[in-house]
Amino acid sequence: MAHSNFSAVDEYGFERHEDFDYESYEHFMSVYLKVLASRAQKWASLLGEGKSVKRTNTVKRYVRKGIPSEHRPSVWMAISEAEQMKEQCPDLYQKILDGPFEKELVDIVKTDLPRTFPDNIYFTKEANHQTHLFNVLIAYAHNNRVVGYCQGLNYIAGLLLLATKSEETSFWLLKALVEKILPDYYTKTMDGLIVDIEVLSELVKSKAPDVHQHVINLGLPWAVITTKWFVCLFAEVLPIETVLRIWDCLFYEGSKILFRVCITLIKTNRASIMACNDFTTLAECFKAIVKNASALHCHEFMQSIFKVPGTLSNSTIIKLRARFAKQRREQQQKEPPR
Amino acid sequence: MTSAPSGTHNFKVVLLGEGCVGKTSLLLRYIEDKFNDKHLTTLQATFLNKKLNINGKRINLSIWDTAGQEKFHALGPIYYRNSNGAILVYDITDEDSFGKVKNWVKELKKMLGSDIVLIIAGNKIDLEHERTVPLEEAESYSTMVGAKHYYTSAKLNQGVEELFLDLTREMVERFEQNAQADVSRTSRVLVVDDESPVQTSCCSGTRST
Repeated sequence: MAHSNFSAVDEYGFERHEDFDYESYEHFMSVYLKVLASRAQKWASLLGEGKSVKRTNTVKRYVRKGIPSEHRPSVWMAISEAEQMKEQCPDLYQKILDGPFEKELVDIVKTDLPRTFPDNIYFTKEANHQTHLFNVLIAYAHNNRVVGYCQGLNYIAGLLLLATKSEETSFWLLKALVEKILPDYYTKTMDGLIVDIEVLSELVKSKAPDVHQHVINLGLPWAVITTKWFVCLFAEVLPIETVLRIWDCLFYEGSKILFRVCITLIKTNRASIMACNDFTTLAECFKAIVKNASALHCHEFMQSIFKVPGTLSNSTIIKLRARFAKQRREQQQKEPPR
Repeated sequence: MTSAPSGTHNFKVVLLGEGCVGKTSLLLRYIEDKFNDKHLTTLQATFLNKKLNINGKRINLSIWDTAGQEKFHALGPIYYRNSNGAILVYDITDEDSFGKVKNWVKELKKMLGSDIVLIIAGNKIDLEHERTVPLEEAESYSTMVGAKHYYTSAKLNQGVEELFLDLTREMVERFEQNAQADVSRTSRVLVVDDESPVQTSCCSGTRST
């Protein structure tokens, strides 16, 4: 990470707003830089021995403690299935970009280009990331016709571009996320997303029953709170360094990580959530908790996601997903879709 | 809709329409009197509150903004549930977006019946020279479905204040009509209540209602 923490633009090109809290950020960085230095050394010796990154317990532990930014592109490719997918069709990305493109897809992708990170210096009209973003999104839309383009993918691909600085790497990582790591979040009726919101609600009910009941009582649906969390994988939600640390684990451990993050946010901020007494303040509260100091201190935050929620097994998630998917199908049979 | 004892009316309004027609911009113009060319794709419903006063009545609007892309339609019911008003926005330079308004009208009528006040807004009239949605068609369709039609430009601040004000007036009217209907209904229930035998029990003294 570059030492630009006092400039008006952060190391990923995001402009810092007038209300940016330099003081807490400085405090955070004074601690985090040491962590980064120590992690960089560890990773250097891991990668320096010429070993390719494999999915081992050591690597998993290393990933949980954060991948140094310069290694993110290659490590993300290696620990997810992206690398394998690419090896199977190495020319795919270029071939799709040779065209032709469907006008409808071009139009829908272009609509969101100027609306993706307008506060980032690399995404202004003059900079070139809008073109890169177009290429990644249009290539993926043609590659996966079931998904095509879904709003939200613009933020994910945008952040992938900022983190990897490579269109092709971003394309493969996007493909791995949508097709291997996440359930059907971005398909026509977003079934996987709606099911996962139900799963989260159920998990909160068992892990923080008072918070769950309070949120229900105030009448704010979980979907209103968490749609963006899931659709954007916390991009444009949490501070950028925290998002990248979450993605480190997401690429290794899969979508379960998203529930860990959600539950941690909810449990850590239990007191402020319970203090809200109407739905407007509650909605404001959920906007605030993703920006507060505990969300910014990514290293502690990432440690907490493995402690605060308690046990969360894959089989629990699988069972809950199956249960709510079934409920949804039954409901849809009763009232045929519009 | 709830009416607090203080006499403040709380209304929920939802903005619906195709992606990039200007839903967020209309809301920002109305609430903060701002227009921002730098603007983000809206992904999940957020809402802003506005307090206003009409004929001495205090009114609190919470206005919900939603994601426009067709896929997000599945989340629609969560957002429009219990709404008192809906603003269906289209872009006058984009015929498809007008088609989308028609879909919303059908759905809202089916799901909420006549409980909801519908407004149709043709936005981006600053781009009048690029108009593709014919004026007459938009207006006659709106009349047919019982929705008021407005032309707006969030960019130039045209028609926005007026739209929200008229919508609010109509919601108040609709509320008062319903309240009247309710009064005649509840008074009957009250009579029955009065005649029901008084319950007594050994600890009735500590009962509170």
